[in-house]
Amino acid sequence: MNVLLALLPILLTLHATSAQESSRAAEPRSRSIAIDSRLAADASLRIGDRVVIAAAPGEQGDTVVVSGIVQRRADPAEIARGEYRIRTHLGQLQSLLGYGDRVDRFAVATRGPSATTDAVARINAAAFGFRAHRSADVAVETSQTFAVVSRFHRAIGVITIVASAIFLLCIMLLKVDERRRDVAALRLMGISAPTIVRSVVLEASAIAVLGSLVGVGVGLAASWIVNRHYQGVYRTPLRFSLVTGDIVLLAVMLSLVLGIAAGWLAARRLVRTPPLALFGR
Amino acid sequence: MIGTLAFASLVRHRARTLLAILGVAVSSAMLLDMVMLSSGMRESFRGLLLSQGFQLRLSPKGTLPFDTEATIRDADSLVATLRARPGVQAVSPVLGGQLHFPLASGAVTAAALGIEPAVQGDYELVAGRNPSSANEIVANDALLRAVGRSVGDTVRAAAGYDAQLRALSGERLLHIVGRVRFIYLALDQRAAALPITTLRAMNGSELDGRASVAMVRLRAGVDVERERAALERLLPRVTVISTNEALKQVDERLSYFRQLAVILGAVSLVVGFLLVTTLVTVSVNERIGEIAVMRAIGVRRWRIVAQIVLEAAAIMLVAAPLGLALGLVTARYLNSILARFPGLPERIDFFLFQPSAAWTALGLLAACGVLAGVYPSWRGASLPIATTMRQEAVG
Repeated sequence: MNVLLALLPILLTLHATSAQESSRAAEPRSRSIAIDSRLAADASLRIGDRVVIAAAPGEQGDTVVVSGIVQRRADPAEIARGEYRIRTHLGQLQSLLGYGDRVDRFAVATRGPSATTDAVARINAAAFGFRAHRSADVAVETSQTFAVVSRFHRAIGVITIVASAIFLLCIMLLKVDERRRDVAALRLMGISAPTIVRSVVLEASAIAVLGSLVGVGVGLAASWIVNRHYQGVYRTPLRFSLVTGDIVLLAVMLSLVLGIAAGWLAARRLVRTPPLALFGR
Repeated sequence: MIGTLAFASLVRHRARTLLAILGVAVSSAMLLDMVMLSSGMRESFRGLLLSQGFQLRLSPKGTLPFDTEATIRDADSLVATLRARPGVQAVSPVLGGQLHFPLASGAVTAAALGIEPAVQGDYELVAGRNPSSANEIVANDALLRAVGRSVGDTVRAAAGYDAQLRALSGERLLHIVGRVRFIYLALDQRAAALPITTLRAMNGSELDGRASVAMVRLRAGVDVERERAALERLLPRVTVISTNEALKQVDERLSYFRQLAVILGAVSLVVGFLLVTTLVTVSVNERIGEIAVMRAIGVRRWRIVAQIVLEAAAIMLVAAPLGLALGLVTARYLNSILARFPGLPERIDFFLFQPSAAWTALGLLAACGVLAGVYPSWRGASLPIATTMRQEAVG
């Protein structure tokens, strides 16, 4: 058995004892445990402290020494779980819980993908009462929750994009509409309609690029705030919001395309209107 | 006259007005969805917890019901203590476990709930009856399909495998007496319920005298929180959770969705507000001369303010019903996505429509519409008449 430490989501009650009291009553060879950083913070425990762990409140339990404080992994499946966790030596936990020589699961290291396939097939075929799973399959299963959240975010994203697109179209329409007198003057001076459309589209593109760059800045700041907030709320190193190159590219391209389209539509409308009508005459 | 002028002003720029209405409709749809999301989960979960009338739940110390595999020892004496209390009307102990159904094609594994059929609150009977003797079982559709049985059939079930003996352990022939729908389990989760004594016996000494959770129904008029506190003092080995406490825990765990709802709802409202403010401001700027003339011929300032505010409110109010309808459609779609959360009870809705949600969204939109008109109207009404007319005339 190559499992030295067990991480079991089973409630263990901890009774902290003072250092002096513990040193008097302590066994000469107290075993060690590792506790998670949340428990250390909430119970003011430090490395070297002695605590009593028991399977239920009021039971005698074992005195152990805190020998490590561990940070939870950045595991999405664990962020909403609020309970404290400790790591003990396997035999100690088995004895404490009256588990006998039982374990909940084994982790088996293989020599490569083909060995994994072979091992899974052989264990499932031969070992009655066991079920072997690939780590990758377990990861897929446990990340189902976040696959759902991800789909939800995508759907919300689409709605947001539609709202933003309409907003952008509206603003561009107004922006170009404001230039009606300038456009009329240019037309009366003899500037061709395609030249005016091109200049308006160019202006719209510049505004879209500038706006999207500001938007990227706002997005980065919002992402930083979101990460700081939720890392604090859930006490996890997990990053909740990531602004990747792909996302930036999508945002810039989308606003550019929408900006150009809106500018082009509005400019076409303007150049088709007689210049004197644009002057309001 | 105010209405006619406002209408004329909106119709003059059809494309612009239409885009504004569309923009506000999408924003209000998002707002309604977020109002529904912020309260929906909570209300849906509250309804689920109270559906069978149990106000308190007792679980092993430091855990939430069925959140871990921990169980309560000496559950029978605990249940007896609870039943002896004057404020307690009923106690339903539940033991969670697994059952394996050996078939020719391999074993089917399902969640098993050990219950006391007379007081159970975990399932609703769809067909058949409750178990009344030791070897009777009820199952949901997912399990019946998986084992290819129906009500009236018998099925062989085991509590586990004995790896040393290479044999099933706690094996029994069970008689399926009912088809049920489990209230707290996901629709596609295979599950069965059988008398708690049977499930304990099948598991041997491991689960002897144990229960995972005990649900308590109090008599009418008993203060739930006071009884909860009293039970927690009386029974130090367990955590006693009231519905309010459970909702608080759920709020903590799902705070992400609530905060997302608040943020996105606020953003939607701001976007709608900005859109209408921008449009009305531009519209007023284009009509500065017209407004100055109206003021010069004696139209009172408040009538101009009222006309402009009416324009903004009209955009909001025309867009709002459209947005609310759109919001209901998108809420159904978003709910269908979140309903795929693994293990989510069938009855939990993230987006729960409540009339109060629609009224809240509508109220916020109307307030935004009025506010969106305030700045442009104030500006329009405060113009120096003579200077404006001169500037407009000179161009």
